[in-house]
Amino acid sequence: MLDNGKITANQYKMLVLLFTIGSSILVAPTALVNDAKQDAWIAIIFTVIISILLVLMYIKIYSIFPNMTLVEICELLLGKWIGKFAVALFLMYAFILSGELLREIGDFTTTQMMPDTPIDAIHIVFMGVVVMATLLGLEVIGRSSEIISLWLFILLAIYFIAILPQIKIGNLQPILGEGMKPILFGFYHFISLPYLELIVFLMIAPFVNHQKGAEKGFLVGVIIGGILLTFVVMFSILVLGVENTARQIYPSYALARKIEIGKFFQRVEVIMAGIWFLSIFYKLTISFYAFVLGLSQLFKIKDYRSITLPISMMLIVYAIAFHPNIVHFFEFVHNIWPLYSLTIGFLFPLILLGTALMKKRQRHVRGNR
Amino acid sequence: MNKRLTSLLFILASIMLLAGCWDRRELNDIAIVSALGIDKVDDELLVTIQVINPGQVATVKQGGITKAPVRTFQSKARTLSEAMRKVTTFSPRAVYSSHLRMLIIGEDLAKEGMGEIIDYVVRGKEFRTDFYLSIAKNTRAENILKVLSQLETIPAHKLSSSLKLSEKSWGPIETIEINQFVNELVYKGIEPHVIGVEIIGNPEAGEKIENVEKTKADAYLKFGSVAIMRKDKLVDWLTEKESNGLHYALGKVQRAVINVPCKEKKVAIETIRTNSKIQTKVDGHQFKGTVQLHIDGAVAEVQCERMDLEKIETINLLQKKAEEKVKKDILTAIQASQKKYEVDIFGFGEALHRSHPSIWHKVKKDWHSHFKDIQVHVDVDVKLRRIGTINNSPLHEMKP
Repeated sequence: MLDNGKITANQYKMLVLLFTIGSSILVAPTALVNDAKQDAWIAIIFTVIISILLVLMYIKIYSIFPNMTLVEICELLLGKWIGKFAVALFLMYAFILSGELLREIGDFTTTQMMPDTPIDAIHIVFMGVVVMATLLGLEVIGRSSEIISLWLFILLAIYFIAILPQIKIGNLQPILGEGMKPILFGFYHFISLPYLELIVFLMIAPFVNHQKGAEKGFLVGVIIGGILLTFVVMFSILVLGVENTARQIYPSYALARKIEIGKFFQRVEVIMAGIWFLSIFYKLTISFYAFVLGLSQLFKIKDYRSITLPISMMLIVYAIAFHPNIVHFFEFVHNIWPLYSLTIGFLFPLILLGTALMKKRQRHVRGNR
Repeated sequence: MNKRLTSLLFILASIMLLAGCWDRRELNDIAIVSALGIDKVDDELLVTIQVINPGQVATVKQGGITKAPVRTFQSKARTLSEAMRKVTTFSPRAVYSSHLRMLIIGEDLAKEGMGEIIDYVVRGKEFRTDFYLSIAKNTRAENILKVLSQLETIPAHKLSSSLKLSEKSWGPIETIEINQFVNELVYKGIEPHVIGVEIIGNPEAGEKIENVEKTKADAYLKFGSVAIMRKDKLVDWLTEKESNGLHYALGKVQRAVINVPCKEKKVAIETIRTNSKIQTKVDGHQFKGTVQLHIDGAVAEVQCERMDLEKIETINLLQKKAEEKVKKDILTAIQASQKKYEVDIFGFGEALHRSHPSIWHKVKKDWHSHFKDIQVHVDVDVKLRRIGTINNSPLHEMKP
């Protein structure tokens, strides 16, 4: 094992939670409402339920190999060469995920807050913090997540309570007016972002000091995250209306702009930006950490820390170079990402699980003989 | 050594952050826009911005106004972005529109279609969505912005707070935020309506600082009629009675007054809260609209003699008369929107969409023609809860 850090089950739960809401909390309503209109909230609840099945699959893999990262499992099950190839595919996914997240941070900041600041500057500064966290190791990331998530909950509570007076129940009607098809479309896009991305947690799960706790924490984290996302989507529809939500690039930020209690509690949209920055920081750190750890395991490098800084530079370049503009980014997320995520986040672990169960049975049969 | 090097690196990196922000805006470098007026002049957009003059606003508080508390800048261009940027050629400060209170559209532009200006205000990051939208009645938006106001030093703040206040206390008025307008522009089952603002008095006198030094201003701004639109084009102005009915039906009335006749005089009933519901039902091939309205009210003023407020029959009678009165206003508004303007400002289409989505998808293309013929049933329920601090009026026992 390369990393010598250990995290508790509770820290693991918080990381899963932060990972689930990070990035999605800001952009999820638009994609969902575009597909499912008024019924976006049904689509999201549906997705959360299905995602529990998905997470159960991840947990199953973890419980068979509780002390191995995904990279090690893969090499063990699929043999040296196929295994290494499969690992490379998975690592590419983790790398692209990190790059997309970084780009998202840059795009949001330059669109909503600092239009004159070059996007590179934002990427470099943010990546600096991520590199620092990665160098300090998983233990520090885990412990800080406990402190930060408390603040996150406070901010979210303020956000939800402050928006309550603005809701219009009529915006939710008609329920199921368009039938089931739009809901399924919404599900298809929403499960890829964030739920299928959760596969990177198989890189971190073996570092939890308590196996049963990790399994439970994984599930609980996903469920709480799902509930929070459901609230955000629901409030977006209830306050902004369907058409308006679908038109916004950052609907929950637009939602926070609507907060106005009396004449003094207003213009607090930065609360939303805060929630989002905190959660996406953990999401980016985890996927980046998974990538560098996996890469060092793949090439048998002794300490992942030595490759962290160079990789981060690659990532900064990737984030700027891959998308020429924000429309390209949205098209990528909308058309390509779901299929890509399904391959890596669903098909890949399914094959692993199948192989593992088959080998186990063979060994069992052989043992009986 | 290595540790020292990394800590040095982090110190260097933090210098980058501590030095400040790329996008800083110093308060004394920006011109805070309080109102934005847009007109159309020979195929170009004429943008009028009302900028707060901070020095003057401060002196007002210490007593005595010497110069106008706001300035207006104008520029003309084909697009709004261009016009806003052109302002910098003669304004010493950069235009900053996050504190915008009012967006006023000239009547000519509204008649031609105001769709072209909407995108700019919802796309731009500087524009928040909490300002009010209004159409200048019988005049240009630029003239509205030039009128100075009393009590509130900044005219745009005067407009927005008077609008907010009268929404609460006067039936025909409501605030329209840009988001509501945009939503109604997009939804197929409802057409937008916008509140109008007009100049009363002499517009030219309103520009001068003397206008605010008198007790009765030479020119002042007043909200009144409601403009109804078909898509983004102004169709016509509702009368006050119709506006009243519209707002009752939409549930936008909070506190208002219903005058009920008694003999030749009137009894005034103030509404405390209202609650309305618009529904569209399907009956065979016919659509039936219903407006259900509940009003909680109180007796505010009695003018006629010999009216025994201590009797429950009197209260029942007043309730019934108030119901009739409101119902008539609502019916007038519905009649007008169906027959005169043929525009579904009430959102019966949206109501149908909510209750019968599948039928709605069949008729939404020509909802316009269906709307003309739907029968609307109006059901008003007034409950008088209180009668004020005295029971019978002194007039009741006044000597004959």
